[in-house]
Amino acid sequence: MRTQLAMVIDSSTCIDCKACMVACKVENQVPEGYWRNWVKSSEPRYADVDWMDSVRPAHFQPGGCMHCSNPTCVSACPTGATYKDESDGAVKVNDRLCIGCGYCIPACPYGARYRHPTRHVVDKCDFCQHRRDRGELPACVTTCPTKARVFGDINNPKSDAAQLLKQNRSIQIVHESVNTQPNMYYLSATAPINWPVKPGKPDAMQFWKLINPSIWGVVGLNALGVLLMLGKQILMSHDKPAADNSSPEKES
Amino acid sequence: MAHQTIHRHTRLSIFMHWFNAVCWFFLLLTGLGLIRNDALQVFPAWPLWMRSVFGSPETLLLSHETVGIIWAGGFLIYGILLFRQEVIPFIREILTVEIPRDSLWLITKGIQMTLGYPALEKIAEKFGFDSRIPDQGFYNVGQKLFAIPSILGGVVIALTGFIMILSQYGTVAAELVQWSIVIHFITVGLVFAGLLIHIFMAAIAKGEQPALISMFTGTVPEDYAHHHHKLWLDEIRASDAAETSPAQGNG
Ligand code: HEM
Repeated sequence: MRTQLAMVIDSSTCIDCKACMVACKVENQVPEGYWRNWVKSSEPRYADVDWMDSVRPAHFQPGGCMHCSNPTCVSACPTGATYKDESDGAVKVNDRLCIGCGYCIPACPYGARYRHPTRHVVDKCDFCQHRRDRGELPACVTTCPTKARVFGDINNPKSDAAQLLKQNRSIQIVHESVNTQPNMYYLSATAPINWPVKPGKPDAMQFWKLINPSIWGVVGLNALGVLLMLGKQILMSHDKPAADNSSPEKES
Repeated sequence: MAHQTIHRHTRLSIFMHWFNAVCWFFLLLTGLGLIRNDALQVFPAWPLWMRSVFGSPETLLLSHETVGIIWAGGFLIYGILLFRQEVIPFIREILTVEIPRDSLWLITKGIQMTLGYPALEKIAEKFGFDSRIPDQGFYNVGQKLFAIPSILGGVVIALTGFIMILSQYGTVAAELVQWSIVIHFITVGLVFAGLLIHIFMAAIAKGEQPALISMFTGTVPEDYAHHHHKLWLDEIRASDAAETSPAQGNG
């Protein structure tokens, strides 16, 4: 079966230390003000009347690009600069094809993409490609002190990630509007889960989709017109005006 | 008289026309190969094919950008150096339209091109207009109606292309890049639609061969000029007469 790299996360062990965020930022030189990954937290509830029974401490949830199997960002990219790599199942950006148009940024329900302020292309998690090339795990996985993030090929039954998935119930986080089939699994349960946003398209992309058939239609109609004229020229090869007043033969 | 040839295009304008045509085809084919998106691409195999021809998608992009810069840069230099000699007269010519005469030309020529002369005569009789195709100047109104959008379109295509290139080397507002892509595509599509007709009229249509040949030699036979661009020929004759008549008067 085809390789599908994925992250299987036990968010109940996350202590919100944000070491994964720091490690990622340093490893991938993520510029100030931007992040490739995150730790989200649920609201703790201390204010209930019956607080001794219902107290719910905050729950922390590490995350990042979910390297979806139905990636809405890939469908939004006009050039294929953002693509799902068949060899490892990761969603990547070809930064020499990307011109930084940002069609993909609102298309991600998870906010996993940003336009890099100095490289002028879209940047995102690539499961630390350069570390994997030398046989290491992604920086966030290695760094995590509680080993909340487990990384591997979930299509390989012997991998830790596949084993964990097999032995436990797990959930994926999606927006109700589209099943992106994320390759980030949370063991048993996690919170918060209602944070993804509806995948959007910039006005320009929407307009393009709207007008695309008309443009091709106009080209097609003109091509048809040319074919008609060609046909006419071949079929009516002796087409001459009955009385051509301006013909040079008559005048000279 | 009928075998005399008349100067029609300068060498430089002939060069610019074919330089433009070669760049246009290269840019059209590579540009279409850059659109790889299921919802937008009408020929999904084309981008795959182009990318393998060029070795990689990034080489395809780079080639498209390089030729685009050469194309736009070539016209920028030409436009600046020959602004008074060629650009202004050309623009003046293509913007000179006489609505009643030229709309009748479009109607009669349109019917003749598609349905033929007999049909044109019948239709003209039925609707009560003159079936003779009105005389035209240096360019006929059909050529003008292609020239105007193709020049304007060229400017739009070059500017939006430039914005997209710039976006990779400096911070350009995202909306500007996003709209540039769409406007670039739409403009190319519309000019290309017109181009199909242009190429048919110039290279395939019967009776137009002298124009095609003139795009290499620079001259047309006088009888062709008389038949297709009578008002232009009249102008040349008038100015020739103005130049030579005083000399004749004295001699
Ligand atoms: C195989 C491709 C092409 C052929 C065979 C062709 C042929 C010609 C010929 C023969 C003329 C001269 C007409 C005359 O002297 O009356 C001409 C003029 C012209 N060509 Fe092309 N051309 C080609 C491609 C293009 C392209 C790609 C463009 C621009 C997008 C273009 C734009 C023009 C313009 C603006 C003129 C001035 C007259 C007019 O508007 O028709 N041509 N072409």
